[in-house]
This record gives sequence, structure tokens and C-alpha cells, in this order.
Amino acid sequence: MSSKDIKFIRITHLKGPNIWTYRPVLEAWIDIGDLEDCPSNVLPGFNERLQEMLPGLIEHRCSVGERGGFLQRLVEGTWPGHIMEHVALELQNRAGMQTGFGKAREAGPRGIYKVVIRTRNETVSRVAIQAARDLVMAAIENRPYPVKEVIANLTQMVDRLCIGPSTACIVDAAADRNIPAIRLNDGNLVQLGYGANQRRIWTAETDQTSAIAEGVSKDKDLTKSLLANCGVPVPEGRNVSSPAEAWEAAQEIGLPVCVKPVDGNHARGVSLELRTQSEIEAAYHLAEAEGSEVLVERHILGDEHRLLVVGGKVVAANKGEVASIVGDGIHTVEELIESQINSDPRRGEEEDFPLDTVRLKDHTTAVLELKRQGLTGQSVPEKDRHVLVMRTGNMAMDVTDLVHPDVAELAALAARIVGLDIAGVDLVAQDISKPMKAQGAAIVEVNAGPGLLMHLKPASGSPRPVGQAIAAHLFDENSEPRIPVVGIIGQENTTGTSHLIAWLLHLQGLQTGLSSAKGLFLGQRCLQAQSGMEWESAQRLLINRSVQAAVFETTARHLLAEGLPYDRCQVGVITSMPKAAGLEDLYIQSDEQMPNVVRTQMDVVLSQGMAVLNAEDDEVANLAQYCDGEVTYFASSEDHPRIVQHRSENGRVVFWRKNHLVLAQGPQEIEALNRHLPAIDKLLKNQHLNCTEVLAACASAWALGIQTDLIRAGIKSFGQSPGAH
Amino acid sequence: MEVSRIRALRGPNLWSRQTSIEAIVSCEPQERAMIPGNEFEKQLRRIFPAVGPLEGTRPGEPASMAHALEKITLSLQNQAGCQVTFSRTTATEEEGIYQVVVQYTEEAVGRLALSWAEKLCQAVQLQSTFDLNQALSELRDLDEDVRLGPSTGSIVDAAVLKGIPYRRLTEGSMVQFGWGSKQRRIQAAETDTTSAIAESIAQDKDLTKSLLLAAGVPVPIGRPAKDLEDAWQIAQNIGLPVVVKPQDGNQGKGVTVNIVDRDLFNQAYETAARYGEVLVEKFLPGSDYRLLVVGNKLVAAARREPPLVVGDGTHTVKELVDKVNADPRRGDGHSTSLTKIKFDNIAIGRLKLQDLEPNSVPEKGRRVILRNNANLSTGGTATDVTDDVHAEVAARVVAAAQMVGVDICGVDVVCESVLKPLEEQNGGVVEVNAAPGLRMHISPSFGKGRNVGKAVIDHMFPNGDNGRIPIIAVTGTNGKTTTVRLTAHLLKANHLRVGMTNTDGVYVNGRQIDDGDCSGPRSARNVLMHPDVDAAVFETARGGLLREGLAFDRCQVAIVTNMGSGDHLGLNYITTLEDLSVLKRVIVLNVAPDGMAVLNAADPQVAMMANMCPGNVTFFALDPHQPVLATHRAQGKRVVYTENGNIVAQQGKKSFRIPLSDVPLTRQGQIGFQTENVLAAVAAAWAVNVPWENIAQGLSTFISDIQGVPGRFNVFDYKGATLIADYGHNPDAIQALVHAVDNMPAQKRVVVISGAGDRRDQDIRDQTQILGTAFDEVILYQDACQRGRSDGEVIQLLREGLAGAARTTHVQDIQGEFNAIDTALARLSAGDLCLILIDQVEAALAYIQGKVNETQLTLSK
Repeated sequence: MSSKDIKFIRITHLKGPNIWTYRPVLEAWIDIGDLEDCPSNVLPGFNERLQEMLPGLIEHRCSVGERGGFLQRLVEGTWPGHIMEHVALELQNRAGMQTGFGKAREAGPRGIYKVVIRTRNETVSRVAIQAARDLVMAAIENRPYPVKEVIANLTQMVDRLCIGPSTACIVDAAADRNIPAIRLNDGNLVQLGYGANQRRIWTAETDQTSAIAEGVSKDKDLTKSLLANCGVPVPEGRNVSSPAEAWEAAQEIGLPVCVKPVDGNHARGVSLELRTQSEIEAAYHLAEAEGSEVLVERHILGDEHRLLVVGGKVVAANKGEVASIVGDGIHTVEELIESQINSDPRRGEEEDFPLDTVRLKDHTTAVLELKRQGLTGQSVPEKDRHVLVMRTGNMAMDVTDLVHPDVAELAALAARIVGLDIAGVDLVAQDISKPMKAQGAAIVEVNAGPGLLMHLKPASGSPRPVGQAIAAHLFDENSEPRIPVVGIIGQENTTGTSHLIAWLLHLQGLQTGLSSAKGLFLGQRCLQAQSGMEWESAQRLLINRSVQAAVFETTARHLLAEGLPYDRCQVGVITSMPKAAGLEDLYIQSDEQMPNVVRTQMDVVLSQGMAVLNAEDDEVANLAQYCDGEVTYFASSEDHPRIVQHRSENGRVVFWRKNHLVLAQGPQEIEALNRHLPAIDKLLKNQHLNCTEVLAACASAWALGIQTDLIRAGIKSFGQSPGAH
Repeated sequence: MEVSRIRALRGPNLWSRQTSIEAIVSCEPQERAMIPGNEFEKQLRRIFPAVGPLEGTRPGEPASMAHALEKITLSLQNQAGCQVTFSRTTATEEEGIYQVVVQYTEEAVGRLALSWAEKLCQAVQLQSTFDLNQALSELRDLDEDVRLGPSTGSIVDAAVLKGIPYRRLTEGSMVQFGWGSKQRRIQAAETDTTSAIAESIAQDKDLTKSLLLAAGVPVPIGRPAKDLEDAWQIAQNIGLPVVVKPQDGNQGKGVTVNIVDRDLFNQAYETAARYGEVLVEKFLPGSDYRLLVVGNKLVAAARREPPLVVGDGTHTVKELVDKVNADPRRGDGHSTSLTKIKFDNIAIGRLKLQDLEPNSVPEKGRRVILRNNANLSTGGTATDVTDDVHAEVAARVVAAAQMVGVDICGVDVVCESVLKPLEEQNGGVVEVNAAPGLRMHISPSFGKGRNVGKAVIDHMFPNGDNGRIPIIAVTGTNGKTTTVRLTAHLLKANHLRVGMTNTDGVYVNGRQIDDGDCSGPRSARNVLMHPDVDAAVFETARGGLLREGLAFDRCQVAIVTNMGSGDHLGLNYITTLEDLSVLKRVIVLNVAPDGMAVLNAADPQVAMMANMCPGNVTFFALDPHQPVLATHRAQGKRVVYTENGNIVAQQGKKSFRIPLSDVPLTRQGQIGFQTENVLAAVAAAWAVNVPWENIAQGLSTFISDIQGVPGRFNVFDYKGATLIADYGHNPDAIQALVHAVDNMPAQKRVVVISGAGDRRDQDIRDQTQILGTAFDEVILYQDACQRGRSDGEVIQLLREGLAGAARTTHVQDIQGEFNAIDTALARLSAGDLCLILIDQVEAALAYIQGKVNETQLTLSK
């Protein structure tokens, strides 16, 4: 039966490094049926329709490697799977989820393809790939397709489901330093680093951000008194509980004053530069409506600034932008706000825009500001009259390079007094490039969990690498975000090897996690007896804050269906080349395909890491080329040509010489083990371990820096000490 | 009787180490010496029988009404449950005026007690009624309101036992421990290292559960539900019985456990949904346990039971509840070990589920549960089981705490028994609570109380640290400011960030953070709160000491430079030199047991303070043979003196020498009073273990110019004449200055002086009397602040002092400080010397510097 349709056979989320790339991807298996006979160049008008729907495709370089490359492929003729890949990526990018990597490959049988797209969120990519299929079909069949609505929907999904831009900038900065990240919830809680060496962030909070300090920062009164005690200039003021008392306080402090809620966040309920009793009383009610006590303070002259303090240093500073309009004698204030303020392309409703849209109904302070000037939203200001609309809330101008050292020092001190490692310090100053005291400047607030976006996308000035600063605060040059990770794959001998390596790491004094065919283990304890190699289970080891080293046994099936549970490993072990048999459902038909699957285990070895390869398996040994780190070969005899060759090149080799297991590098060698020792003899005879497993494990232990005598003792005691598994 | 001035002495003070209320009380003649033998006492005892014995200032002396006020204030606080013991009443030299001092534990309570005591005295006098119960209950309520709650209180108590100083930062439960760079903070059972992220994680039960699962901690499986149907589906998948609860809840609100059928499930869902997203979980059989983890240790465990009554077959539920609530251990709030069972709608609703009503009579032995949760605050009970916890259980619970990342937390475990591993009994961790209540562990309803406060403090201050930074307190009549600045400089040479207060301001690590006279406790407290202070040097003036007491409970070093014949005598009931030395020795009395008093051996009033010092003593004096110093040296104790042009610090056979020529401040040792200040500062630096090379280096780099020590022997060159500006304002200071300038060669000697109005007449006259022997010309001016004296009065006194002067030949009075300076400068020629005793330090120094600069400009032209 003839069918010109694209059908999904299966969609798989590969959560970790996989045969396609290091990063998570969505792998869709499709059946294009008789469209196999319809490459793009034979579908009349198809290419034009597609470009019209997604003009951005011109940017796709594709295999041609230059702008317009993909369009060139369309003209030459390419098949729907490949087109879907590019359409899905374009949809994702348009929705704000930046992804570049994609692949489309024939799976074997006619019309069956594997289409792969990089994903930062599984749910979004599933919708994107479905939409890509529908869009391509619509273009083929010359039907209309609601591109705009689909992108809008995807955009909403991205906003809701992906980590926010502030968190993303930290995660990206960490990634640049090769620090892995694991998202821990549906929100912005992210773990950087692995196991015991991990740190956590939640937007601009770190695991070192003190809860008490956050409490202090929310209590403006307490913050101010703590700062004042330490000589940090603050606006003097006092709490009041009635409009009358507010006026009384204002007179005592000296006009002008500002009135604000004690416990408020952001600029809500804040009124500035008040001089009259009626203004102050009105402002009191506005502040009171925010639900906490009300504070009357001396109004500090100057502009608002936000200084971002990270780990004791000011890393970015922005200046507040005053929003104002100029009357024309014709339009109302509201209309002028639209035409003169909201028309600014930097303003928008979403978090991504550097500036907020001004809507009088949302900005009660703006209403009050206007009222003080005798205006409402409906007033028509006379021609050329300057009307101030808002003076808080938009800290959009980068002034980092102007900050005077005295100002920076006091801002950092303020954060330290409150006790915050990351803080947004709000200060009012007439000139940020001059010392504070002389100009009557003051620190007005210290905020926990400050927004980073204003520094990443300032409306003017340069963006600041605040993500890098936070990553550097969490991990200084000397700290190691990773824990030793060992990955093992092979047709056989992998379980015993992984258990023996875990045992040796345990004896080394490290709390060691192990994911193997026998289950999931933590130290001496079995956490679960089944499915220990499944991605979700295995990843638990890396989330665990007590785990100091982790060993992962993997199979080709797990690699193909889920990806690896870690991004990189210290030691990658391949004991033998797995067979294709049993993987037919994954479109693996022959053993020849296997090296290409298994090479992922080599791809993920860190540059300072080690590959441990079976020299006696040519296919395995050939994968050495994909390893960024060093290579250790093992073999049952020191005479194997590959062992001889590698040793001559000063590489590490491990082999059996009669009854001795030898670790050798160049001319140096250590006899690590004698198989005639009763304990080892028993171990091998009882088939707890075999000779290959001992070789692979010893080579790995050596790579992990475990001393020979501990290796020897560890192998002797393997499976014999109480509680060992 | 009238109570005129009330002060709170918030630190060690003239009277005692206790925080106390001090009141000035005036008594009518008939109110003095009236007890015993007066109707007053009889009446008083009738109304307030618990008042202690009424005695005069010394046993056997008759007591005044002020004495009665004192004892009533003390007894009222005692009766209200405050642990106070110290009180004292002293007659001043003014007839009928008394100083009444009564210890307090809470300032507000102390003040209220005093005001009630005054009312009681009046009621007795007027024979009107007085409601003692009202007074006591107000005091009790206020005390409960303002004092620290039991959780925070237990931590603070543990800190105090360990010698860690503390200070409340808010009226709530936020407390600072330690000082300066060593400070830490807590808020109830949270510390400043309790992570905000970890707290958010703990709040999210689902996230917590998934993390605990990752850590291999047994948890009840389940997940949040989208709606009722989804919830029921989850329940079916997990298998009944289940628990239904709000995702983000606290204190057990909206939780229903052991749900076995659809009807109850629907109700439970509705209840939980009121608090937000609903979580459905496997119900774990067994009891509720709360395990407290501090740091990486399990420190306490309690089994918790919901509020319940047991039927007796005769009483109704309501009656049974009343009976249980009659237990005196059950209070209304958090302060007692048990709380009354609340008999409200929630309780009645819970009864309904057991087919009971408030008036039902449950059969004998039937346990009737009044609430779904086991919180103490709603009437539950806690039984200590700390010693029962199996090591495997403890390990899981600690793993849970570490996984979430909270350093102090209460882990809720449900299991049949903590005696065996959770894995063996289907037990699990159901919740991790940040900022856990400690009451159930400190005073459990049953079983042994645990010192969890100590565990928290040991966690925050490991290895015996007590959060203290060295405090060096400096007092005396003259030389305080120079000694403070020099001592601070020597500490700085030891790479410490120094906080310093003196009469010119507050300085932290070189930055001035406050100005004006900052020699009081408020400024000192600010320094102790500053996060960048590793050591503190405080000028401790009399004013603040009288007003508020010390800012610290004890100091590492107390320096008393000298007493001389005193200064400011006659103010605030400090009339004699003895009074003054009793006041100034307060810092010596409060030296730490391992601390050091640095005392001037040559000043008898100062030397006598040695006997009062709980720590060690270093004596200093210029003269190595000064008897007090020589004796001390012979005893093998620390002394600092000068000998053959060297400063010598000696203890037994060990000694260290620094040539005076390497100490610019002393001008080769010529300026005696500066040399004494140096000896004191050296002794202090030695006491806090500043290495000798750093002391020597510090001494060589300390310059007494207007930047280094403004107003303290600042020397200028003016057209070849020597100008010396100094703030000296009492006879001793002027005597010392005269000695110092005597050593400086000069032709004509001119002095400019004013008199401060707040000194006694004799003290003002004495100043010019001394000057008259040493100066050829004296320029008098009237200073800015006459402090209550009439115009010209001070000038007159100064002139009187010059009558019959041995050396002075020219006296002139001038209006205004700057005019006086101008006049003096005009009279100088090269080779002359002029001592200017300045008043407005900063302004006058700036003026003089300006004049000096002018001449140099002229020269350079």
C-alpha cells in the first residue's frame, strides 16, 4: 500500500552522552513510507513554501558549512527526515531554546530514519518534533500551517519548563569550565559538579546563601541598623504605624522623605521624595497596603544604583533609568507613556526584556508620582512639559567601570554584614564614581537572590559576565567539581570488574557508588537489587552529596536507549566489543555497527583521564583514537604486540606474567599480584572473578592512583570481608 | 518619694557585673530611716508578704523608702519567675537622695517591676488598694513575651556556659554569638550556615523525597496529584492505606493519615487542598519519631504522640480533656514542657471520625485521638528515645540531613521502633524540617531531657573556640587616647584588623566609621558587631560607664594609665578621687581570668587596683626602682619600665629592650607622659602575644602628628618657633605637659589656654597655677562651651590661678579660640616655644596647620 506520510515509530529521550553527541538529544524514529521517493527537489513549490513558513532556515549551515547551506541541500534534494530535523531545530530556536545539533540517518529498512535533535527540555522537544512533522507535511501537501501560534505555544513552554535566563547564565559559565550540571527540580534548582563535590544554585542563591541572612535582608529596618552600626551610610528613618505618625517622623527626619513597607520586595508600595503632609499620608496608605509595617526615611538625593556583590566583590553595577515623558498638548499621559516609553524596543512584558513595560494599573507608584505633579493617566500635559513617570524599578544602565573603590568596598561590606554571599546592593548616589560619604550617598537595601538579567542584558553599556563570577565563587581555581567516575562497557567481564573497582575505591576510604547489573550500591550497602544500570537509578549516585567516587557499568542497550548517566569520566573501560545480537529492536543489525556505539565510552573520557582497553580485542583497541586522555592496555600476556608497542612508547600496560600481574610503564614495572596466593587462587577458582576482570580492575585502580599494596590487599579481601558484595 | 532618673546598666557596671536598673530616688525626711518601727513595713507585708527583709545599706542600719523600693522591685521580679538576686541602695552625699540599683534579666521587665514597686509604695503610703496579682501577671506575661523562647534560650544558655558572649539582634529569636570577625548568628534553631536553598528543598516534600531516594534513605513512595481523580489513581497504584497531605505544609496542617477508603480519601483530599498542592503517599505503619540532627550527628530523638485521652467509662471526652489539661505542666504557649490540648473544631472533627462527640463517654481504656498530628504545640506529647536509636537508623537520618543540606534539622521518621533498621520494618523518613523546635528534646513530656543547645553551640564553635576577639579597654585620667591609638597601631603591626573607639571617633581597619566622642559602650558594641574586626581597643570613659555600664562582659586587657588627682570630679555623684577610682577600676574588675591588667605602678590609686583584678597584672613605670614595680618584678611577674634610654619589658629572667630613640612619640624619652603611654601600650600588646619584632616595628612607625593622634602633643614648626597643640584640660595633664616642654629648649615660652566650665573651680585655678611657674606669657580665651557658667566666670578663675605666678610676666584674655591662637603666634619669634591648649580639636588643629602652611608657602616663594 502506498503512503506518503511521515509516521513516528518511536521517540526516545537520550538523557546523557550517546552515540550522536555528548549532550541530551531527542531521537525520533520515523517511517516516511513512499516519501522516500520524494526528495525536496521533486516536490513542486515545496522549498519555497517551507522557506516562507520558516525564513530563519537560511541561517542553517548544515553539512555545506555556510549560511544558506541547508537551503542548498533543499535545492539539491534532501529527504523529509533531514528536513524535519532542521525544522524542529528552527522551531526550538525561535521559541528561545537554543539548540544547534541535529542528525538524520537511515536506520536500515526502506523509509525508516532516525532523526535526532539536541534538546534542553524533553517536553519542549517532543512538541517541537511533532510540530516539525506536521509543518513538513503541510508544506508537502500545500496546506496552511499555523507557524506563529505553534511558536508562541513553544515559547510559553520554554518559559515555563526550561531554566530561567539568570540560572542559565551560571550553568553556561560552569559548562565553559567543564563543570557538569544536573537540574534537580522543575524550577531553577541546579546542581553543579558531582556527588560530594557538588554545589547547588537556585537562581542567584547558592547553597552558601544563609537563610538567616535572607531573613535579615528582608527586614529593612534590621538591615539598616546593622549597617549603620558598622558605619555604612544608610538613610536614617523610623517605623510608623499611622499616617499622622508618618508625618511627624518626616518632620523629625527632615524633608524630603520616602515612605515604604518594612517587609516589601521590589519597588512595590515605595514612594519617594515626598514633601507635603498629604503626599506622605497617601504614601503611608500605599505602603501599608503591602501588608507590613511602614517606614519613613530621609530621601537620599541622586540616582538609584544596583551593585551586584558576589563572594565579597562587586562584579557588576547598574544605574536606574528614570522613565519620563514630554507633553505635546494633545495626547494623554497614558498615550504618551505608550508612544514615548513603551515603544522602546528594550521594554516588554517577559523576563527576557531588559526593561518593563509601564502600565499605570500595575505601577501604583507611578500613579502617585504623576499625582504629585498634579496629573493622572488621562491628563494632557502641555507642550514640552517634562513629566517624570517612574524612577525606580529599571536598573538598566551598566556602570560597572565607573564604581569608585570606596563605594565598592562599602557595598561589599554591606553584603558581609547582612551575611549574604551573593547580594544586590541598592544604593542611591549622585555620582557613583565618587566616595559615598562626601556626596551624602546611602545604601538603601541589600537584596538576597538578586536578578542577574539586568547585568546580562543592560539597556546600555556592556553585559557583565556575572555567571562566570558566580561559578568562580562556587568553584575557585583549586576546587574540583568532579568526583572520580569510572565507566565500564563490554560484552562480558564488566560486572566483576566494576564491583572490584568499587571495592578498591571503598578501601581507599572513598564513599563509593556503584551502578551495575547486580543493582545500585552505596558503599557496602545495596540500595536496590534491580535495574541499577538504568539511567535514572545510576544518576542518583551523582546527585548524592555523600558520594566521593562512582563506578558505572553500562551495556550497549543502555547506551543506545538512554545515553550515559554521566557527562565525562575519569576512567573509561572497555573489556570487549559487545555483540549486536539482541539489539535488533534498536535497528542494530550487525556487529560492525558496534564500535560506533561503544566509542561513546571513549568520547567521554576526560583529557586528564584514562582509557583502559583490552589489547587483545582489535576493535576495542582501535577505539583508543577517540580518547582525549591517556590509554592503558591490558592483555593476558606481555608479548602481545600492542602491549609491546604501547610500552615502548612509554604507555601504561597491565598483563599477566606467569603467575604475576604486572603494572608496567616504560622500563618500570611493579608486580602487583601473585595468583598463587591462596586468597587469590580461591577467588579465581570460585569464579568470583576471572583473570580479565582482575586485569581491567587493576589497570583502572592504577589509573585512579590507588597504591599497589592496597590493590593487592583489596583483591585478596574481595568478596571475603563481611558485608562485601 | 520621687523616682527621678532611671537608667538601664546593660553591662558590667559600677555596682556589679549584673545587668541592672539604676534609679535616682529622693525621699522626704519622714521617708528616710523609717524601717523598722514604722506602719509602712506592716502594711507592705500585708499586701506583699513575699518581699524580703528590709534593711539599710548595711545590716542593722535603718532603711528608707528607697530601700523598700529596691527590695520590692527585686521581689516582684522573683515572684514573676525572673532569676535575679542583686540589689543595692546607696545614699548619695545629697541629703535624702539615693541611688537604687536592682538586677534584671529582661530590661523591660526590670523597668516595669520598678514602676509597679513605686505604685506599691504609694499604695501603702496612701493606704489604698493594690492588685498584686495584676502586677505579677503583667510582669510574668511581659517576661514570657520578651525573653528568649525555650529553643533559642537553650542554645544561648549553652553558649554562656562555654564563655561565648552573645547579644540579641532583634526582639525575636535572632542572636549574635561572639564578636567581630568571629561572630556567628542564630535564629531559633537555624544558624548562619543553614542554607536558604536547603530550607526551600526541605519545604518541598516531593523534591526532598526524590533527593532522599537518591541518597538511599527509605522514603514513602508517592507523588503530588493533579486533581482528586489523579490522587485516587496514585493511591490505587501505591496501595492503601495512604497519607494525604499538602505539598508545602507545616505543623501538620491539612494532613490525614491511614486512609483506607474512598470516602475518607475524598475528605482528606479536600482538607489538604486548602493548603495547596496535594501529595499522596504510602502510609507507613508505626509511630511518629522526631530525630534531631546537628552537624553530622544525631543528637536527640523523641517519639511523638498526638493529643489523646483514654476513656474511663464514666467521663465525657470533654471532661477527660479538661482533666488532662489540669496538669500543671501543661501551659498555653511554648514555654512549658507540655501544652494544653486544644478542644476546637479540628478536635471535634477528629472525634467525629471516631464516631464520638464532645459529650460521648468513651469506654474504659479506649484511646481517643484529638488531632491528627503529634505536635507539642497542639497538645501532643514527646518521649525521649535518644538512647534507643539503632546506628543504622541514625546513619539514614544523618544522610537525609546532609542530602537536603541543612546543618540543623528535625527528621520525621515513621516506623514501628527505632531499635532496628528502617529497612527491616518498612519504616521511612517522611519529612526533613529546617529550624526544628527543640522543646521536645530539652524537656520531653517523658524521659530524659537532652542538652541540644550544647550540641548546636559545639557545632558552631568547634575545638573550644569561644567566639571572642581580644578586647583591650583603656581608661585613666590622661593619656587614654594616645594609648588607645598606639595599642591599636601595635596590633595592626601584628596584621590584625583592629576596631578602635576613642574620643575622636570609631575606626575599623583604618576606616573611620563614626565621629565625635565615641568613648561610650554604644560605639564599642558597634565595633564588636563589625564583621571585619579581629581585635578591639576601647577608650572607656566615665560617662558611658555610668550611663550604661560596659559594652562587654569581660576584656582581655584593661589599661589604667593614671588617676592623678582626677578629672570631672563632682559630676554624677562621683565626688572624690576614691569614687572615681571605684568607677574606673570596673574594667580591671572585668578582666578575663586569663587576661591582664596593665597598671601604672607610680600612681597609688591605679596600683591599688591590682588587688581587684581576676587575671594577671603588668605594672609599668618610668622608674625601674619604683617600689611597686620593683616588688612585682622581684616576684617574677611582668613589668615594663625605662632604663638607660631603653624600654624594658621583663618577666623573671626574660627581658626585651627597645631603645627610646626608636620610638619617635617619646622624643628620645624626653616627653615623660608619652613614654608612660608607650609603656602601657607595650604591656598591652605583650599581653595579647604580639611578637616583639612587631611591637618594635609598630613603635618606630607611630607618629604623633595631627593624623596619628590629633590633639595629643602635636608639634609644629612656625617661623623657627616650636608650636605644641594639646587637648590637655586638667591639672595632671598640664603638669605632664609642663614637664615635657621643660625638656625642650626655648627662649620665650607662651601658652594659650581656656577652661572648661564643667570642672570644679579649684581644678580650673590649678591649671593656670601650674602654667604660671613655667611660661612667660599666658593667653586666656573663653571656650565654646561654658557648661552653665556665666560669661567671663572661667576667665576670672584662670586669672586667679595666675595670681603671684613665679614666671609669667604677660597675661592677656581674648575672645575666641582662633583669635587667641593668632594673638599668640604674633608674639612669637624664632627659638620661642608656644603651647596651645586647644578646645575644638579638629577645627583648631586645622587652623594651626593652615597657619603653618602659610609660612611655608611664603618660604618656598
